[in-house]
Amino acid sequence: MDTLEKAVDRVLSGDASAFQQIVDATSVRLVRLGARIMGNQADAEDVVQEAYVKAFRALKAGEFDRRSSTATWLYRIVVNGAIDAKRSRTRRAEQAEMQIDPSWDGAAFAEARLALSELDDWLGDLPPDQRAALVLQSLEGLNNTEIAQLMGVSEGAVEQRLVRARAALRQRRQQP
Amino acid sequence: MTDPEDFDQRLARLARSTEALRPSAGFSARVMGAVATEALPSWLESARVSSRRLLPIAAIAAALAVVWAVQAERSVDDELATSYASVELE
Repeated sequence: MDTLEKAVDRVLSGDASAFQQIVDATSVRLVRLGARIMGNQADAEDVVQEAYVKAFRALKAGEFDRRSSTATWLYRIVVNGAIDAKRSRTRRAEQAEMQIDPSWDGAAFAEARLALSELDDWLGDLPPDQRAALVLQSLEGLNNTEIAQLMGVSEGAVEQRLVRARAALRQRRQQP
Repeated sequence: MTDPEDFDQRLARLARSTEALRPSAGFSARVMGAVATEALPSWLESARVSSRRLLPIAAIAAALAVVWAVQAERSVDDELATSYASVELE
């Protein structure tokens, strides 16, 4: 059993402080995923924070059945939270002076944020579910079966979203 | 960018470039702060919620108490003034 699953066991047995280990082990990947779907790091952090609170609440209530791994479960909560947020929330202004952890490579982080901005401009007009499917396939490297499980839809529905997303992007590119 | 290869190349480049995205400083602490609220025992959480709901009533009660205290002090002063006057007359 890996560290993440052990931390879940500790939370389930009433040790709330063990949730910190879950956050430490997953936050980089989840915030990156959230940012790629939301197109904005500040919004992504809101979505991921809400996802963690939801996950903690579910653990406390004994609602996590462990049929999937903890990482997959959290991934699913973030994907669905990001799609919902993208549908309902007004975009929050990106904080120009977002503080980064001193241990990270500042230049790479700045370049990543520029790329995120380019990605958001490019995918900005796609419906949230199509955008999420495209991000999961092309940026997160998941296959259609995994995407279908995460999004709670059939593989056919995933395929349809991907085809529509690609068609919309190509069509937009061809417009003068 | 109509060529499928260009399309996928662009996605691949953006995937690589956004790989360095990280949570901002203090993110983990903010999450644990939000989680700590959820971790409160249910009776404590109920007390916290109830106390928030009772806050306006408590504020009104405090204001009424102040008004009552001022009025009571005035009537005591009036009574004292009357008694002093009575003594002087005698």
